[in-house]
Amino acid sequence: MTFLGFSLRNIWSKKARSIGLTFAIAIAVMTVVTLAVTSSGLEQSAATIISIGKADFSVAQKNVPDLLSSVIDEGELRRITQTSGVSHTVGVLVETYHLSAATPLLIEIGIAPSDLIPFGVSVVAGHPYVPTATGEVMLGWRAAANFGLRVGSRFYVNGKWNTVTGIYSTGNSFGDSGAMFPLSALQTYNRVPGIVTIAFVKVAKGINPTTVERRIDLDIPQLTAIRTATQFGRADRNLVYLKAAVNGSTVLAVLIGAIIVGNTMLLSLLERTREFGLLRAVGWTRRRMVRLLVEENLLLALFGAMIGVALAFGVTSLIEQLPALKGVLNANYTPSAFARALFTALAMTVLGGLYPAIRAALLKPLKALSYE
Amino acid sequence: MSELASHGAPVIELRDVVKTYEGGVRALDGINLVVSAGDFVAITGPSGCGKSTLLHLVAALDSPTSGTVLVDGHDLNGIRDLSRFRRQQVGLVFQLHNLLPQVPVVANIEVVMFGTHRSARQRRARALDLVEEMDLGGRQERLPTKLSGGERQRVAVARALANEPRLLLADEPTGNLDSESVVRMLEVFRKLHSTGVTILLVTHDNSVARAADRRVFMRDGRIVENALTDVT
Repeated sequence: MTFLGFSLRNIWSKKARSIGLTFAIAIAVMTVVTLAVTSSGLEQSAATIISIGKADFSVAQKNVPDLLSSVIDEGELRRITQTSGVSHTVGVLVETYHLSAATPLLIEIGIAPSDLIPFGVSVVAGHPYVPTATGEVMLGWRAAANFGLRVGSRFYVNGKWNTVTGIYSTGNSFGDSGAMFPLSALQTYNRVPGIVTIAFVKVAKGINPTTVERRIDLDIPQLTAIRTATQFGRADRNLVYLKAAVNGSTVLAVLIGAIIVGNTMLLSLLERTREFGLLRAVGWTRRRMVRLLVEENLLLALFGAMIGVALAFGVTSLIEQLPALKGVLNANYTPSAFARALFTALAMTVLGGLYPAIRAALLKPLKALSYE
Repeated sequence: MSELASHGAPVIELRDVVKTYEGGVRALDGINLVVSAGDFVAITGPSGCGKSTLLHLVAALDSPTSGTVLVDGHDLNGIRDLSRFRRQQVGLVFQLHNLLPQVPVVANIEVVMFGTHRSARQRRARALDLVEEMDLGGRQERLPTKLSGGERQRVAVARALANEPRLLLADEPTGNLDSESVVRMLEVFRKLHSTGVTILLVTHDNSVARAADRRVFMRDGRIVENALTDVT
């Protein structure tokens, strides 16, 4: 029998304790992983908004609760366009519309037809709407497929019937699940004339986009340039809070888990006192005793982490089906989410198990052997 | 007489050993004893006379209040790694077999060989040899709970012998056995003795003590008799 085999046998022989501990670890891991992949998915979904199109970077209002609350007026849009190094700017209004219980958040994008190509939109069927039209809409190919609509269909949205003039593709699922309207029509419907949510900026050839970003940040301090998902928090504070909550939950899960593991291990220490006394009496060193208990805990941590990740997959897919998040949240299983799972499980068991392991190692063999 | 000359080199030597427990109970009161290589010595006496305490001191499970305990010429007080000493130098058999209930017979024997030079395969081979030697063939994969009291105690002896110690220390090994199992256990000890293993056996049972070559009788923490066993 190998040492590992002995550890496994010990775990197997105390089924109730092992299952209880594994379950506690799995629940903690599930919570942490679900939060991590959910927030990462939301971040990715939000980041896709800023990455639609062929822009070098986007500009939004700084420190708004969420990106869709960003407000850029005509004057600010003009100043962005006039910034040295900027070649072209596309102002886009992004709104959400409660279409039905099944589609509680339809993404609506207001954009001038002339900006479609710079924005990276390909019209795959039909034609773009007329810039001044008030009853025309283009649907993303995913939205058209979901709603069973095609060019020429009538689509009831924004309080009236609209004619589908074309089907478009942007190359990302978030954009392709939405609808596009003439910018002025969407501004009028939402009573925000002259306002856009995000400005997409293309810099002139040979100019470093970072330099232009800095200029905009300095010249228009109420706005912020965003190029990467990690810069997203400059505009969207919700995401920053969400990430902080995920980190806080991980720490909390580790602490609570460590207390549960420690408590269970101390009870187990009482149960196994004679066994530990015997092992010490027949020549096991203190180090070997600690190794045995740490190894048993690490094995439980691994089992717990695996089960926790599997549970997280299940819970996350249920969350994805919630009407409010359908189409918006696509769970993002990053390597860091799995690393977080492993860290949580290991930290719980090491923190919780070390003290009982040391106590077991310090047992006097004779005293432990006579323990009733 | 507290010492008796013997043919082999001394394996155990106790010099003026005193053991006083907390509360002032004097379990051993100036013990002098020599056990030589190849001896089979029974320590006997009434309950509370200090015989188990003496065995625990020799096994390095406890330390004397004063005096010296030497095993193979080494003062146990001077040994830093007592775990290693217990693993390599002595084999221990307890009154309650103290087997690990969660692992089978063979693993109970293997477990004391962790940390030795033996590989997993060698540990298993050694354990299976001992299973055969203890006449436990066919029971190697059974859990201790599926064995009789006598069988469990033979597993405990096998475990004690796993690391090939020069010295076997047994504390009331027959205390919980029926008479048939006692006879069988004594046969095991005699067989081991015939192979040259030095045995120190603690028992309160005179019939068991008679199996040894020498009997040390204790009372109130002192050796009151140390004599060759009367074989007549």
